[in-house]
Amino acid sequence: MATLNLETVELSKKFGKVTALNGIDLAVNEGEVFGYIGPNGAGKTTTIRVLLGILQATKGSAKVFGLDAWKDAVEIHKRLAYVPGDVNLWPNLTGGEVIDLFVSLRGKQNKERRAKLLEQFDLDPTKKCRTYSKGNRQKVALVAAFACDADLFILDEPTSGLDPLMEQVFQECVLEQKNLGKGIFLSSHILSEVERLCDRVGIIREGKLVETGTLSELRHLTRITMTVATQSPITGLETLTGVHGIRTQPDGLSFQVDSAQVGDVVSHLAQFGVKKLESTPPTLEDLFMRHYDSANVGV
Amino acid sequence: MRSNFANSGKLVRFMLRRERVTSAIWIIVVALFSAGLAPAMDQMFSEPGARQQFGESINNPVMVAMMGPTYGIENYTAGAMYANMMLLWIIIAVAIMNIFLVVRHTRADEEYGRVEVIRSAPTGRLAVVNAAMVTAAIVNIILAIALGVALGVVGVESMGFAASMLFGFVVGIAGFVFAGIAAIFAQLASNRSGATGFSFLALGLFYMIRAAGDMQGNDVLACISPLGLAHRSQVYVENNLWPFIILLVEAIGCAVAAYALNAIRDLDQGFIPARPGRSVAAKSLLSPFGLAARILRNMTIIWIIVMFVLAASYGSVIADIPTFVGDSPEYLQVIGIPEQIVNTMTDADKAKIIVDYFGVFVISMMTLVALVPVINTALKIRVEEREGRTEQVYAAAVPRMKYLLGYVILAFVLSILIQFASAAGLYSATSVLEANPFTFDGLLQAFFVYLPAMWVIIGFTVLIVGLFPKTTGAVWGLFGFVFLVSFLGGMPGLLPEWLQNVSPVKHIPQLPLAEMTFTPLIILTVIALVLTVAGFFFYKNRDSVTA
Ligand SMILES: Nc1ncnc2c1ncn2[C@@H]1O[C@H](COP(=O)(O)OP(=O)(O)OP(=O)(O)O)[C@@H](O)[C@H]1O
Ligand SMILES: [Mg+2]
Repeated sequence: MATLNLETVELSKKFGKVTALNGIDLAVNEGEVFGYIGPNGAGKTTTIRVLLGILQATKGSAKVFGLDAWKDAVEIHKRLAYVPGDVNLWPNLTGGEVIDLFVSLRGKQNKERRAKLLEQFDLDPTKKCRTYSKGNRQKVALVAAFACDADLFILDEPTSGLDPLMEQVFQECVLEQKNLGKGIFLSSHILSEVERLCDRVGIIREGKLVETGTLSELRHLTRITMTVATQSPITGLETLTGVHGIRTQPDGLSFQVDSAQVGDVVSHLAQFGVKKLESTPPTLEDLFMRHYDSANVGV
Repeated sequence: MRSNFANSGKLVRFMLRRERVTSAIWIIVVALFSAGLAPAMDQMFSEPGARQQFGESINNPVMVAMMGPTYGIENYTAGAMYANMMLLWIIIAVAIMNIFLVVRHTRADEEYGRVEVIRSAPTGRLAVVNAAMVTAAIVNIILAIALGVALGVVGVESMGFAASMLFGFVVGIAGFVFAGIAAIFAQLASNRSGATGFSFLALGLFYMIRAAGDMQGNDVLACISPLGLAHRSQVYVENNLWPFIILLVEAIGCAVAAYALNAIRDLDQGFIPARPGRSVAAKSLLSPFGLAARILRNMTIIWIIVMFVLAASYGSVIADIPTFVGDSPEYLQVIGIPEQIVNTMTDADKAKIIVDYFGVFVISMMTLVALVPVINTALKIRVEEREGRTEQVYAAAVPRMKYLLGYVILAFVLSILIQFASAAGLYSATSVLEANPFTFDGLLQAFFVYLPAMWVIIGFTVLIVGLFPKTTGAVWGLFGFVFLVSFLGGMPGLLPEWLQNVSPVKHIPQLPLAEMTFTPLIILTVIALVLTVAGFFFYKNRDSVTA
């Protein structure tokens, strides 16, 4: 059993009457890249702020490195780096100054690493923060985070303003940290990014964690899309359990099938003489849509 | 417990770095300006005994309410006179510096999301507010030393070096108390403008508490206010140390209270809970003008109430003024009553004359205070621009001129409303008296006659917004100058006549005492219009400046 990097138990947070988090149970292992996804206002940023010890949980507990997120915040933060979703910097300081501040607050400087990251992200550290574009402000925060010798990186939509090239650089940085055995907690709306980087994913909706697991585990819970062409017309498909959305295509049928029922469906199809069978695993996007769209919950 | 303050030291260094320009300017301006006035005051009275006489003449309730109790009269040295007259004003300036400084590093940074990233580093929960207080302390110490040295070396005989250092440190510690007060409001309020606004309100309130206490000779009341306490140092005469010590304790108390409040609240939250607002906009919001009015609404309402109450509080003491002033010819002169009137007035109309002159003084004072919200209204579009919010408005097909016009109209309207509120406040308090010295019409006229001067300042503000959007500080420079002329202009030889004439307020006939003349009013109105139109012209033709 791997040690836990962070853990929440029955975590709830209320703002007055608004319940932002409602009994979140999270467990992220050491050296794991964890994707945290969910619609706007689901509670991702709130979770992160509780984990950072800048909001106090209303109920439940939040632990990072086995320490209490609220009480031992300083101890925790020595080994943690954070990139906020909205990066606001001091208008009259340069990017370089801000990077140095954050790195020095956490410990010692690593000049080489800083220089390398500046080059990778193509960032000019001599400009005043007020003149940076949104993407460049985000780069300042990313360089400041990755230049730290942290064991856990908490990233809240870190790439929402980056161009595709920089997105690539970001992903390389994350993978590099992952190879070093560092943990990453990534909240994002960019699903391809989550799909590529994350070992496990948690989906939060309206303050509740609705799903967690590896991508393949999650896929298992959902449907596979199949397109099939047969020699004789298919009958009786609709009577099988776990088959949905049957549609006629020019050369056959397409439908969705619950992952658990694939075997049954395939043997049913065999009797009609399969000419062609395509099956597409659900993308994270499909997974997502299912959870995001409140009308579809529980389907 | 210690971890609550972790990394405060590094944050202090960082804050000082951010302060290097702003605070340096404040310190230099305060030290040079204060030290510069000392020799001027010293040389004002060359004949022996003249200063003595002046000292006795300012020992009257009105002046005491304004500047604190006169002391050292037995042997009125230049130092005694300087400290007596200047200490409070310098403290107020330094208090303003402290309020801005603390709010800038606490609530403002929190609002901008900067505290969040700092808190994600291994910094203690209280490190930011603690570092802000330490930074304020350091800035105040530097200011105290700079001011003390400047006064000590400026070469006025009665202002010794040690006493000058005490003067500097009394100013510094009193300023630091307001840093503490601002730190408390930075926790209570849920945004930057709230924190700044409440702190200023506290400063104003403490000034009035002190004025009330000093006027009644009630030391305990006056010393509730840090301003009154600081004045009790009686620098250059008694050189008391105890006020410094009490102020230090008060400042530490404020800081501890702020820390305690900070410890029990969430980031981005205040202690006034937010409630849900309307889901659909009111019709009145849906125009450029409506938007501007909405942005300014709360500030406007608060100011109108404040001005009404302030005027009423002046009005409530007005009946007692003749008794306070008594028969002393010097007092009468200080209120501004010319000698021939003093000589010819009969017992029957004496009280009325005194009240009239006091009334004129109150009206000009109120008008100067009213300039603060009026200027803020005209400057608001610049704040909106700097924070990047005008862009979206202009992107929604609103012509630039039209949006600016909204703010300018509101500034002009506010000048009228606020003068009306002041007149009403004053009248409401005096109307309960047996013999009301004022008529409402008369008061309204006396307040409204200042409007053209206020408009010139609005015009100047619009011009700056259009022409030099990055140096809106110039507007406050002009305001400070106008204030100075109105209060120190009467002192012989301090400010040359031509310089005083730059102040638009100087040209206003002070009704009901002076005779009504329309010429200066018309000229001022024309100047105001020209400045405003020029401002519009430059605004139309310039880029948006978002920094
Ligand atoms: N300070 C606050 N006061 C009141 N409600 C709040 C506060 N902060 C967050 N909320 C509410 O808590 C809920 C969760 O917000 P949160 O910022 O965590 O969402 P999120 O998942 O990060 O969304 P996004 O994807 O848009 O960043 C929202 O309904 C939000 O309105
Ligand atoms: Mg968020």
